[in-house]
Amino acid sequence: MKENIYTDLLAFFSNKAKSLPTAGVSWVWIILPIIFGSCKKIIEVNLNDASPQIVVEGNIYNTPGPYAIRVSKTINYSANNLFPPVSGANMIVKDITDGLLDTLTESSPGLYLTKKLKGISGHEYQLQLTVGSQNYTANTLLPQPVPFDSVSFEKIARPGGKLDYYAVVNYQDPPGVSNYYQFTLLVNGRKIENTFAFEDRLSDGRYVSRTLRTDSTYINVGDSVSVIMNHMGKEGFQYYSTFFQVTGNGSLQSISPANPISNISNKALGYFLASATQTRRSVAK
Amino acid sequence: MQPTTHSFVTFAVRNRLDFFGSVFYISFYISMFQKSFVKLIVSLITVLQVSLLQAQPLLSINGTVKDAGSGEVLIGASMFLLENPQKITLTNAYGFFSISVIPGKYQLVTLFAGYRSDTVSIQLSSNKTVVIKLQPIGKELTEVVVSSSRKNDQVTKPLMGVQKLTVKEMNNVPVIFGERDVLKTIQLLPGVKSAGEGNSGFYVRGGGADQNLILLDEATVYNASHVLGFFSSFNSDAIKDLTLYKGAMPAEYGGRLASVVDVKMIDGNNQTFHASGGVGLIASRLNLEGPLVKDKGSFILSGRRTYADVFLGLSRDSSIRDNSLYFYDFNAKANYTLNSKNRLFLSGYFGRDKLGFGKTFGIDYGNSTGTLRWNHIFNGRLFLNNSLIYSNYNYNIEIKSGVNNIIIKSKIEDLALKTDFQYFINNDNKINFGTQITRHLLSPGIVDASANSSFNSQALPVKKALEAAAYFNHEYAPNAKLRLNYGIRLTSFSLLGPGNFSTYDSASNIIQTTVATGSGAVKTYLNPEPRFSASWLLSPVSSVKASYTRNVQNLHLLSNSAAINPTDIWIPSSLQVKPEIADQVAIGYYKNDLGFQYEFFVEAYYKWMQNQVDYKNGAQLRANENVESQLLFGSGRAYGLEWFLKKKTGKLTGWVSYTLARTERSVAGINNGNWYPARQDQTHNIAIVGIYQTNSRWTISSNWVYNTGNAVTFPSGKYTLNGQTAYYYTERNGYRFPAYHRLDLAATLKNKPRKGREGSWTFSLYNVYGRENTYSIEFKDDPNNPGKTIAEQTALFKWVPSVTYNFKF
Repeated sequence: MKENIYTDLLAFFSNKAKSLPTAGVSWVWIILPIIFGSCKKIIEVNLNDASPQIVVEGNIYNTPGPYAIRVSKTINYSANNLFPPVSGANMIVKDITDGLLDTLTESSPGLYLTKKLKGISGHEYQLQLTVGSQNYTANTLLPQPVPFDSVSFEKIARPGGKLDYYAVVNYQDPPGVSNYYQFTLLVNGRKIENTFAFEDRLSDGRYVSRTLRTDSTYINVGDSVSVIMNHMGKEGFQYYSTFFQVTGNGSLQSISPANPISNISNKALGYFLASATQTRRSVAK
Repeated sequence: MQPTTHSFVTFAVRNRLDFFGSVFYISFYISMFQKSFVKLIVSLITVLQVSLLQAQPLLSINGTVKDAGSGEVLIGASMFLLENPQKITLTNAYGFFSISVIPGKYQLVTLFAGYRSDTVSIQLSSNKTVVIKLQPIGKELTEVVVSSSRKNDQVTKPLMGVQKLTVKEMNNVPVIFGERDVLKTIQLLPGVKSAGEGNSGFYVRGGGADQNLILLDEATVYNASHVLGFFSSFNSDAIKDLTLYKGAMPAEYGGRLASVVDVKMIDGNNQTFHASGGVGLIASRLNLEGPLVKDKGSFILSGRRTYADVFLGLSRDSSIRDNSLYFYDFNAKANYTLNSKNRLFLSGYFGRDKLGFGKTFGIDYGNSTGTLRWNHIFNGRLFLNNSLIYSNYNYNIEIKSGVNNIIIKSKIEDLALKTDFQYFINNDNKINFGTQITRHLLSPGIVDASANSSFNSQALPVKKALEAAAYFNHEYAPNAKLRLNYGIRLTSFSLLGPGNFSTYDSASNIIQTTVATGSGAVKTYLNPEPRFSASWLLSPVSSVKASYTRNVQNLHLLSNSAAINPTDIWIPSSLQVKPEIADQVAIGYYKNDLGFQYEFFVEAYYKWMQNQVDYKNGAQLRANENVESQLLFGSGRAYGLEWFLKKKTGKLTGWVSYTLARTERSVAGINNGNWYPARQDQTHNIAIVGIYQTNSRWTISSNWVYNTGNAVTFPSGKYTLNGQTAYYYTERNGYRFPAYHRLDLAATLKNKPRKGREGSWTFSLYNVYGRENTYSIEFKDDPNNPGKTIAEQTALFKWVPSVTYNFKF
């Protein structure tokens, strides 16, 4: 489990609204298990079925294409995790800035690839998707890249003297403009399933060194740690920060879960985002 | 009345009042304000008197009722004349009573639960002031005497939704970790729901956790919790009396929609010195009280501190040793009787929590309150209390992470002047009227970041508001069966400059910004709050009642969760945020048995709520100057039936409470604007409390609670994105947690009686049958079968045993 205070305080400060009450829980987890033990178990829940919704996962980068856009559908909660791809969709990505149209081709079921589109900083892109009789559109802006200086480490002592390692990202936030960042953490090539979305609302123009707090510790001395920085528009931050929020656990102390804010019309889930991407690597020591 | 209040407010507001310097100004204005208000009331009373008074002049028997042993005044003692036993008067919050009759010879009877009744003969030829001293009943006499003390107020008094708990009742109910907790105990009453384990928040008749006005000696307590909610702020050693008003409060109270929890501190023994205290698993308590001047003045000092951190400090491991985790609180009160007409009280509370995790994170938070009161008796019939009230809640957070060294501070501070008159016209008419003026200062956040930190230092503008209220309340018994209690409270709330005040559209963009340079009112809301209740006696021991109440709330809590947290933000009504309004109607049937052993009632209520605050998806509530742009507004409705049966005397005492209720919200932008259950909506809620006094030195007590699980949002579908399973939500609060139920048990063993010394051991077991009640449910891929999704439930406590030793000498 390892829900820890650090994620909470970070959440508090970075406004992810998961907020501090879980710190109360953490306190309980620190002190009480010694005496009484808190308990977890798997329970049966009876959930309603929902009519399938379109899910889009689309990224345009400032690196050479082709770029991939996946389309799938939601399934019922009780079903096995086999998510049906949506084939035969009509998909166009338009570079609004220079007027270029690119009709995507389906390379495998549900996976669509661009042919000639180039991700260029400062350009705005539009997704036009038609599935059956339904139309979906989304707009996104590819911002100017922000130099990603380095990955360093923060070490926090645990009871017993063991040091926990967390990756720290370092970059200069450009002053006077709104900037939104999403980071992906990989440890020895394995992607860590935590969502890191930062904005500069409280750190405009600062030299930023922020720790990527994870629910659990994954980094050991000698590990190769890669971090991908995606500098994106507000729509990207909204998606990732609300995705982080919705992982509420239903306790009265947490926020009510809801679907993340998507930039795609017609109630589709997922996103269509353009980002300036950079990767930095470092070995934990 | 309307123009008076309004012009007063704008007048007061136009003058630049510094928060602390404003006391004198405020008292000056308030005296002007009061003068005109009192004039109005007096002329009203004159009209009433002309129409009501009999030909013969009335004389007053008045005075104070006290505990003969400690000199502590007794609140709510029943008094009547043997010659006219139907007309019962209760002592007020300061133990004062007044009965008006024509000259003659009378027998004045005083009754109070747990005390021997008292009868005095009075030959009345002029106004008479008496001090009644009641003897507490020794244990050996309990059954005989208590059953003869008639407590019929519940049936006869017109107020509805009022529940009182005595300290004795509260002390016998089993609680977690053995820490007596008044706010946990009231959650066993009908219509009051718990915000769950690990949270001292509660919900009254469908209201939010922020819609309860919690008063300690008249001062607002903004966050009544310790250790992020595991315990309440109130040390029960220092508490004398608690009254809960579930919405139908008298006009003297205002400011919150759902309830008033009026907690009064002990005055202190004015006869002899006493020390008492307790040693428990979590905290220890010490209580000192005694006379300042015998019979004239007394004091009480009461403190409490936890000591889990002492054990942390013993560790050789610095990562454990550097953690801090404790709370303490301190209650102090002194009173002095200047003469038979004047009495002064000074009371204060200071509580603090400190939590620190190593060197990286620390938070400390707490309330401090202070109340200075002056009671004045003009003549036997007109009683005045003036209070100067201070209240402060603040928190400080310190974060050290790499280069980031950040301090965040926030506070809310109130300064208030309150004047209450009680005019005892005659036995059928009593009038309460008064005024209150409060200056609110809300500092939502100052962020102080170190020079090379990743964050900018920032100070959100301090918000100031002036709240003025005037009220009038008439208790009237037109005939032997009908009793009325009606009144009105007029509230004026002004948001003060200077500053920028904006309105926002649904996309969170600013529509318009008003720049205020002076300290005048930017926006004033004027709201009348009518209150009405009536009782009709069906028989001497049964009645029906009906009531209508409007409440207005001008301070709003911003919290993404459904519970109270130390870091929650309060904001005033503004250009964007309208006052919250609740209208409640209720009817009820009340019955006591002829021996007054049992008390029963059933009440039905329906409540409408306007301008309820909710949040946009992804709302940014922290350190956001435009925080109001993140809000949604909607309506609420709550209705329910509450049953309550209490056995008050005998070896076995206790109660059964059952609530059948519904609480719903409708907010544009959530659930397509359709009504949906609020998270605290619980269809069924049952509490059974039993206290058994054995023949030996043991007292056994137990309670069992059951409630429908809270409404929660669960996914109805799932999808894959970025290689992870994500969940698809279709409706807000469309599902339920499993039902919650729990049995607690406590046993108290009194030491053998020794002169001047008392001691007792309390053993308790929380959650006797180890029910794993749901705290949270998390959905995730099954680690053993990644093709499947599982729901993992977390329960906080299985069994929690505790032991406490209490002493008194």
